[in-house]
Parts: sequence; C-alpha cells; structure tokens
Amino acid sequence: MPAIDVKDLRKEFRVQKNREGLTGAFKDLFKREYTEVAAVKDISFTIPEGEICGYIGENGAGKSTTIKMLTGILVPTSGQLKVNGYVPYQEREKFVREIGVVFGQRSQLWWDIGVIESFQLLRKVYRVPEDQYRKRLNELVERLQLGDLLTRPVRKLSLGQRMRCELVASLLHNPSILFLDEPTIGLDIVVKTEIRDFLKMLNREHGTTILLTTHDLQDIEALCSRVIMLDDGRIIYDGGLEELKEKWSKGREIRFQFTSRPKLEELVPLTRDFPDVQWTSEDELTASMWLPHHINVSDALSRVVGAKEIRDIKIIETNTDEIVREIYKSGSAEARKHGQASGENGGSPAGQKETVPNA
Amino acid sequence: MLSAYMDLIRIRFLMMLAYRVNYYSGIVIYAINIGAYYFFWNAIYMDEEVIRGFTLAQMTTYVAVSWMARAFYFNNLDREISNEIRDGSVAIQFIRPYVYLVVKMMQGFGEGLFRLLLFMVPGLVVVSLIFPIEFPSEPRTWLLYALMLLLSFLINSQINILTGLCAFFIENIEGMMRMKRVLVDLFSGVVIPIALFPGWLAAIVQWLPFQAIAYLPSSVFTGRTTGDAALQALMVQGIWFVVLIIPIWLLWRAARHRLFVQGG
Amino acid sequence: MFFHAMLFWEYLKNYAKTRLTYRADFWIEVLSDLAFQAMNLIVILIAFQHTPTLGGWTESEVVFVYGFFMVPFGIFSCFFNLWNFSDRYIVKGEMDRILTRPAYNLVQIMLENMDPPSLFGSLVGLVIMAITSAQMGMTYGFLDILVLILLVAGAVLIYFGIYTALTAIAFYSDSPTGILPLMYNIQNYGRYPVNIYNKVMRFILTWLIPFAFVGVYPAAFFLERSQTDDIRMAFLTPVVGLVFAAIGLAVWNFGVKRYRGAGS
Repeated sequence: MPAIDVKDLRKEFRVQKNREGLTGAFKDLFKREYTEVAAVKDISFTIPEGEICGYIGENGAGKSTTIKMLTGILVPTSGQLKVNGYVPYQEREKFVREIGVVFGQRSQLWWDIGVIESFQLLRKVYRVPEDQYRKRLNELVERLQLGDLLTRPVRKLSLGQRMRCELVASLLHNPSILFLDEPTIGLDIVVKTEIRDFLKMLNREHGTTILLTTHDLQDIEALCSRVIMLDDGRIIYDGGLEELKEKWSKGREIRFQFTSRPKLEELVPLTRDFPDVQWTSEDELTASMWLPHHINVSDALSRVVGAKEIRDIKIIETNTDEIVREIYKSGSAEARKHGQASGENGGSPAGQKETVPNA
Repeated sequence: MLSAYMDLIRIRFLMMLAYRVNYYSGIVIYAINIGAYYFFWNAIYMDEEVIRGFTLAQMTTYVAVSWMARAFYFNNLDREISNEIRDGSVAIQFIRPYVYLVVKMMQGFGEGLFRLLLFMVPGLVVVSLIFPIEFPSEPRTWLLYALMLLLSFLINSQINILTGLCAFFIENIEGMMRMKRVLVDLFSGVVIPIALFPGWLAAIVQWLPFQAIAYLPSSVFTGRTTGDAALQALMVQGIWFVVLIIPIWLLWRAARHRLFVQGG
Repeated sequence: MFFHAMLFWEYLKNYAKTRLTYRADFWIEVLSDLAFQAMNLIVILIAFQHTPTLGGWTESEVVFVYGFFMVPFGIFSCFFNLWNFSDRYIVKGEMDRILTRPAYNLVQIMLENMDPPSLFGSLVGLVIMAITSAQMGMTYGFLDILVLILLVAGAVLIYFGIYTALTAIAFYSDSPTGILPLMYNIQNYGRYPVNIYNKVMRFILTWLIPFAFVGVYPAAFFLERSQTDDIRMAFLTPVVGLVFAAIGLAVWNFGVKRYRGAGS
C-alpha cells in the first residue's frame, strides 16, 4: 500500500470579484460576483512508504492547497485521494491520529507556558499512553538536544528552538507520515542542517514517510530522493533530483586561469569543431568555456591544454537553484521540453509521467 | 499632505462598503436596540408625564438619536492601535511621513462617514416612521447638532486613542478596553440620560468627558437644551476636545521615547 | 464525550498555568466583567428611582431576574470566548491546525479560548439572587435547586446555539460582520419583563432570538408570579435550549464543511 496515492486531484475555489471604485463597491454591496479559480488541476502521483519527497513550486502554484487536501483540511473538488489507507476528508478524526503536520509559519504550541505543557496536552489529544509518550519524548529530546528548553515558555524561545519543538510536537504520537510546510523558513544555516539531519534520521530509523514543501532547494538536495514540481496547479516534474539536474541542465562551465591575458579571438578557434561551445572572458587572466553535456570534458579540455599555459581549472556544474529558476521562468514543462529536444541532440525529454520515481 | 489624509478617509469608506453583512445586520440590530429602549421607557413613563424635564416624546427622540449618533461616532480605534502596537507594526508608522494618530483618526472618520450616510440618516428615517419621534424644527438646531456630532466623534476617538496607546505600557489591555467601553456607554448617557442619574452621580459625571459624547448633543437635538445653554454645551465639548489632546500628546511622547530608547 | 471532558481538564490546567504568569490580568478581567454587569444593574436601579414598578414588576423582582440572568451568562462566557474567531482562526489560518487534530473542532476551539474568570459573574448572580430572595422572603426546597440547574442549563444552551451559529458566519464571509457585538446588546433585553414590549418585540425575543428564555421566563418560575403563562414558558427553556443548540451546531458543521470546500 503506498503511503500517498493521488489520482486526478482537483481543487477549485470561488473567488469574490471586487468591482473597482465607489460605484463598483456600491454594486458589490448588493450583488456579488464570483469567479471559479482552479488551484490544483488534476494532479496524480504516488508516494511509497518510507520516501522523503519534496514538493516545490512558486508561490501560488498550489502546494499548500495540495497539502491541505492530503491532511484532510480541505475536501477536493474532484479526483481520488488516499493517504495511509484513509480518504483524509472522510475519516478526518481517525486519519489525523496517524499523521503529523508542521506549518512552518504557524505555531501549534501554547505561547505563554513551558513547551512541555503543550506536549502533555497533545499527548491527551492524540491519546498516547503515558509510557509510550515518555519513551518517545526522551528520544526526540535527545535527538534534537532540547534538554533544558522544555520548561521555557514558547515566547522566550528563538525561532530555531521553537521549530525544533514544533517538530517534537508533531511527532509525539509517532505518525507514519509527516507533512512539513516550509519547515526551515527563516532559520539560520546551522539549525537548518540540524533539522535536515534529524529528518533523515527519522526517515531511516522509523521509516517515516515525509512530504515537505519548501522554497529552499538545499532542503531538497539534502533530504529528498524525489521531487515533485508544481506550476500553476499542474505537476511539471516528478522524479529524482539527479535526473532533474541531468536532464534540465544544458551543460557545465569550465573556468580557466591562464598565465597570460587570454584573447577570445585566440580561444574560440581552439574549439572550432564543437560549434555549441561558447567562450566568455571573465577578467585579466580568466576565461570560461561553456560546453553542453554531449561533449566530453576531456575532449574539450585537450584542445585548450595543448595550446595555452593554464594555472588553474575549475568545473562548475549548474546548481539546482539555477535549473529550477530556469524552469519557473519558462513556465511549463512542455515549453522546456521542446527547447531541450531541439537544442540538444538526443537528451530524452523529461515529461511528467515518463519519469519513474527512484523508490 | 492633506490629500493623503483625505485619501485615507476615502479608502476606509470603500472598505466599509465591502463589509456587506456588517451593514445589513447593523441596521436590523440598531432598530431592535432602539425599540427595546422605547418600550423600556414607555413602561417607566406609565404613571408620569415628565421625568426630570424629559417628556416621553423627548425621551423617545433622545433614545433614537443617541443610538443613531453612536453608530456614527463608534469605532474600534483602541483595538486597532493596540493590535498594531502588539504586533510591532507601529514601529513602521514612525518612519512614514505622516502623523500616525492623525492617520488613525482619519480612518475612523472614514468609517464614521460611511455609517452616517448609509446608516444613521436612513436609520433615523426608518425609526421615525415606526416610533413617535420629534425632529427639531429650527435649522439653527440642526446646524448646531451637526457641529456637536462632529465633536462627539472627535472626543470619542480621542478616548479610544488614549486607551489604545496604553498598550505601549501594559501587556494585556483587553480588560481596560472593556472597562472603557462600559464607562463610555454608561456615562455618555446613551443608555440613560444623565439628567436621570441620582444627584451625586450626575455631579461626578459633569466633570468627566463622556457626557460630551452623547448626552450634550442629544439634549440639544431633543430640544431639552436650547439657546445659550446649547451654545454652552458646544463649548464644553470644545474644551474637552482641546483638553484631551494633552494626555494623548504626553502618552505619545512617552511611547516614542520607549520605542526609540529602549527598543520596544 | 468522556474524551472531550478529559480534554477540558487538560486545557483548564494549561489555562491556569498561563494565567499564573499574568496574575494582574486575571483580576483586571474579573473586574471589567463585573463592571459591565454593574452598569446594567445601575440602569435598572436608576430606572426604579423614577417608577415604582416596571410593567407590574417590583424593583426586587427585576433585580432578581437580573441575578438569574448572570448565572447562565457567566457559564456560557467561560466556555464560549470566540469573539475573535474570524480573525484568529480564519484570517490567520489557525483553523488548519485544529483540523489536523483528532478531536471535534468546535470543542478544541472552545477549550483553547476558555475564560474561567467569567464564572465570577455567575457567582455574583447567585449572590444577587440570594439577597433579593431574602428581601422578598422567598425560600427554596431541594426540588427548586434541581429546577434551577435545569433552567440554567437550558439558558446556557440557548446562548451556545445562537452564538455558535453567528460565529460560524465567519466561514461564509471573511469580512467582519459586526453581528456579535450587537447581539451582545440585544441579549440584555431578555432580563426585563417581556410584557413591557409590544407584540413584535415579544415575538422576536421569544422565538427568533429567544433571549427572554435566558432571563425573565425562567426567573419567573421562582418568583411565582401570578401569570401562569410565564411559568409555562419557564419550563420551555430547556426545550428551546436544545432546539437552538441543535441549530447552532448544524450551522457550525455546515460552515466547517464549507470551509473545507465540501459545501455547495
């Protein structure tokens, strides 16, 4: 049984139109006009148990709406949805006992009293037996090094400390699926790393399935074996992160530092027989060569090494940020796909349903 | 600068228009309020012709016009200000090129204007069809009342601003705001005219600013206060308006000091 | 049921812990609550300075009704403190968190916002009832106490039903409706003898927004007033309570359904 199974999921909202100006406002007073807006447009995906999956997309792409449907908060307009064997919106109270949810920007802890009090309350809400609760709490506290923070009121905690406590709060009942909505938002790099390590451990040792939305692609790189990318309510990519990089990055850059000032007129002829290679001069002594994936680095390199004296070489892979930004910019996978197919000889297009998740 | 403030009034006016449910429910419920008090007074006037100089007709008019005026001057500036102080957004207001408190006042005025035009005026017309209300006959009284109504709004807003600013110094001012509301409703005379208060209480209330909010203008409207006494009532309002600027200014200065020197 | 009762205890413990850190606030809140009640009492006392009876009811009787009125109101206010529901749960989105927890959503929300200081109002109400009972030479048997509990429970259910339905409006309209504070005003008329109102008002207060059932009708039972009609109405209190609570819950559940996008 997959942990999450989604088929043709769709969600539409009725949005109220505000007419402009004073007369418009007067009209609105007596008669409202609405428009239907689809936030999630017939998406399908399956997440097997024990996977960590990243869910990314620009603001308004439909990430939160999907998460809200998966956690039983919203009822879908159409489509099938099964999480943990439940239909979330039908058996909400039973279903939510087996999932954990963290909304990065909202706290689930009592503001004015010690964190431990909130935990106690959640224990009762989720009906966790005392001994299991103790064991679980001790483990989590140790892993996240919360020790003496537990008696402090939440308002006295730093954001990083609070976030770690939020994680504990959502895990006390040992859920088999954890939903994280922007779990690292606003945190410094140290805390981010700590939280990522913790989530990896949780996944490894307890087999917890994790679905997280994020804007920080480093979260994805550090955690996810799989990434689902959303744009305008549709899935534009679903597959491994490595494949994403391979297929969507066009090439890499090799940066040379020469012993004497390089002239572009001299460099370009060196790679004459590779028409796709481009040169740019960076500063006094450095110049960069951009080469597409289908050309081997050694081939290109050998042309330069023989002709010029080189002090240093650096190979720069296109990073995920750039790739994703590139994809967002192009808007949809379709457009990108064609560009790739024509621009490169061969690279198989990355369509949404063709990629098999590397479970 | 002035046009910026005018725009604030306009924007709040538009915002109020967008709150449609608020509008409908308000009309119904104010009508019930006035009705309830009308019958309440009717029962009290059962065997009296005049109580402390109020005839039943005057009392009815007093109740109707006071409640309708309340629709105009009532606002939640205290809550808005204290919320902005608590969530820290007030700090941003200090760097904007306008006077925060005037901005708040203008927003309140936009809200009041909306209720005056779409609520108080049609409300009074409707209420006058149901209950025996005597409107003043002299245009002079109407003019005077309009002026006094404006001052009602200003003084009530000043009191709200004062309460809201306390949030700089007190952590939880929920209780204070509630207390203020009770004080204003009781001592402004909106529920019971101050003339009916027992002597000692009326004597105390004379020295408080609350009567300037409802009792003074409504007395002029009902024709109970006329001539020089009416002008005097207007003066009392004016004096309170000026006097109340002082504590606001002091509190505001202390608040700035606190914000800049101690960092919130 | 048992589960939710146990949750109540847990939330109460957390409330107590929160409050122990802000002890001053606690007393300010109790005080402002009582000030609000005192204001209403003052209105009654002032009114009786100018008339011996109100619709045939004596001062002691009306004050007794007021005392009774405070008892269910205090209990209701303790559990139902959702005046900022729209802002906190809908606009700021905390409803999502509630819906990811395995307990009935309304219970969670009510418990999160519990306000035990309101119970002081009930206590004061009981004291007022005791004092006025002594003045009128009334005595109570064991059965009377049982009836009192039953009638109070019915009145609490009426409040609960009306306010739950009105709070649920937030699910349908995200703009502030202003209905709640105004309804708060109307409920006050349920403590005056209903026979002072005309037919329309009496009908509204009895069947539409049945606030007569939270004050004057049930209290009439203990006052053994001659109108048998009032006594019959007293025993209708629990029935009306159940009906309105059911309506309130239905509206609420429908609102939650709509919030989740399952409604029409």
